Amino acid sequence: MSYKFKQLLFDGLSFVFVAMTAYMWILNPTPEEQIEKMFFYFQMFLGLYVVGIGISYYLSHLGFVTLGSKLFEPAYKKKDHKVVRWYKTFSGWQFLIVLTVLFIVGLIKTKFSVYELLNIDGFQGVIRLFNEITSPNLALLPKAILNIFETIFMAFMATVLAIPFAFVLSFVSAKNVMTGKVGYPIYLLTRTTFNIMRSIEAVLWAIIFSVWVGIGPFAGMLALMIHSIASLAKQYSEMVESVSDGPIEGVMSCGANRLQTVWYGIVPQVILPYVSFTVYRWDINVRMATIVGFVGGGGIGTLLIQYQGQAMWPEVGTIIMVIAIVVWLMDQASAYIREALK
Amino acid sequence: MTEKTKNILSIRNLKKNYPNGVKALKGISIDVKEGEFLVVIGLSGSGKSTFLKCINKLIDASSGEILFYDDVNSSDFTDICKINSVSGVKKIRQKIGMIFQHFNLVPRHSVLSNVLMGKLATTSTLNSLLGHFSDADRAEAQKYLDLVGIGDKAHIRADQLSGGQQQRVAIARALTQNPRVLLADEPVASLDPATCHVVMDYLKKVNQELGITVVCNLHFLSLVRQYATRVVALKDGQLVFEGSPEEITPEWFEKIYGAGAQQVHIN
Repeated sequence: MSYKFKQLLFDGLSFVFVAMTAYMWILNPTPEEQIEKMFFYFQMFLGLYVVGIGISYYLSHLGFVTLGSKLFEPAYKKKDHKVVRWYKTFSGWQFLIVLTVLFIVGLIKTKFSVYELLNIDGFQGVIRLFNEITSPNLALLPKAILNIFETIFMAFMATVLAIPFAFVLSFVSAKNVMTGKVGYPIYLLTRTTFNIMRSIEAVLWAIIFSVWVGIGPFAGMLALMIHSIASLAKQYSEMVESVSDGPIEGVMSCGANRLQTVWYGIVPQVILPYVSFTVYRWDINVRMATIVGFVGGGGIGTLLIQYQGQAMWPEVGTIIMVIAIVVWLMDQASAYIREALK
Repeated sequence: MTEKTKNILSIRNLKKNYPNGVKALKGISIDVKEGEFLVVIGLSGSGKSTFLKCINKLIDASSGEILFYDDVNSSDFTDICKINSVSGVKKIRQKIGMIFQHFNLVPRHSVLSNVLMGKLATTSTLNSLLGHFSDADRAEAQKYLDLVGIGDKAHIRADQLSGGQQQRVAIARALTQNPRVLLADEPVASLDPATCHVVMDYLKKVNQELGITVVCNLHFLSLVRQYATRVVALKDGQLVFEGSPEEITPEWFEKIYGAGAQQVHIN
């Protein structure tokens, strides 16, 4: 895709955004009206987009440097520009206007309210909550500890079970291994699959698996495993792609086949980073296991959501304390292990 | 060398064009005689490395012939350029060993394990992945390690050896393949001058005692004069000189390396 094309798309989008915001601000339709007229707005969006692209094209024809062209133009063109203060440039003003409009729309959409933030009732509520959370109910401690073990082992099993899949897949999805007419399409396919798998959050996987195998740690573990396979395979394969060619050439020159070349030419080079990533993944999985528990993935997260739902804040405090300590310990331990592996 | 020596490799009109448009080899024809120590000289980028790697198919030549006479007394030959089956490539690489400028050993593996790589072609995939090599193979690997004088280092990690020692491991690895030809791509370019001679002496020993034909890329003319039995020079992907080391006069030197180049001596 040429930079000109990216420039037009970007400038067009910034124009259509500002223009439609202005239109909405003037007419101020209610949400119901907006939903009703969504198709009309979509048509308007497309029309204005074309207009924006036209304006961008015309402006650069006149010699103005728009934000899109400043952003996407190649380095050899950037060298030609003189240094000018930003407020004397078109792109500077375009940036300022788009950012301002984005911010204002953001304030409206998030219902940003200084009044609510400074409301004394709300603030006192927080203080009460905070007081209760910081006076934990230690009677719940044994149960919380039992549950955090469930979480830790959910994370552990998810990581361990993901390793063999990710290990094999990492070579299948590495550009330097998958060459040729057969290899390259497989590389593209696996990479795309990983990206899709990773873009689905572990929480969503947990919902899917809790329907499949029932609510509980097994569903949570499977959700984390799926996510771990995709993440580890991507990280692993990036390591495979950055290995040095020397040992590969050396092993190939001995008449090794593809599998032998991977095993002796590549694996010894990537094994330490693999271990390092895996330890880190376990650490991440412990944190994610807590969140996965909120939607029925078992472990300490499920316990937390139960007590939070009943507004039993001292109990919630105990659980948060246990989570914080374990996450901190895991974080430290994994940092030390990864440091030692370098 | 007697007149009776026969060609082990016969290279005809070898060309290599890289996808980026670089023409590395522009039609090279060289005969390699059995048992000789052939040195290829030339500037960096003259195509020396490409030339060697075409011979064992680490690089596929664009056109031309590389005829390999496994049995020099018969007229049977294999055209390496025409091989494209996996098993064919494997067979050729088994017969033609190679060592590299940066040694290209497997890191984190022991010296012995590295030398055993030379047996990958004759070991089943499963056994090789499990590290199961036969006792005979292990004994052979140890024998060649002894030959290059580092038999006592067999169980040390390969990446902990010095450069010169690593190159000797690489020689032992290539020898374990029982090759007919040994390709050496700048084998001493990343070594210090003293170690240089040790490695070159072992290559000479391999050449003379085991009768393995050596084709070696070199930078330093002083080494060429000391070790080569015959020299060819490449310039811009073309053959510009072929003869004995003594025949490289200052005039030839200028032609090969360009006017104004200075000879560097290693002693």
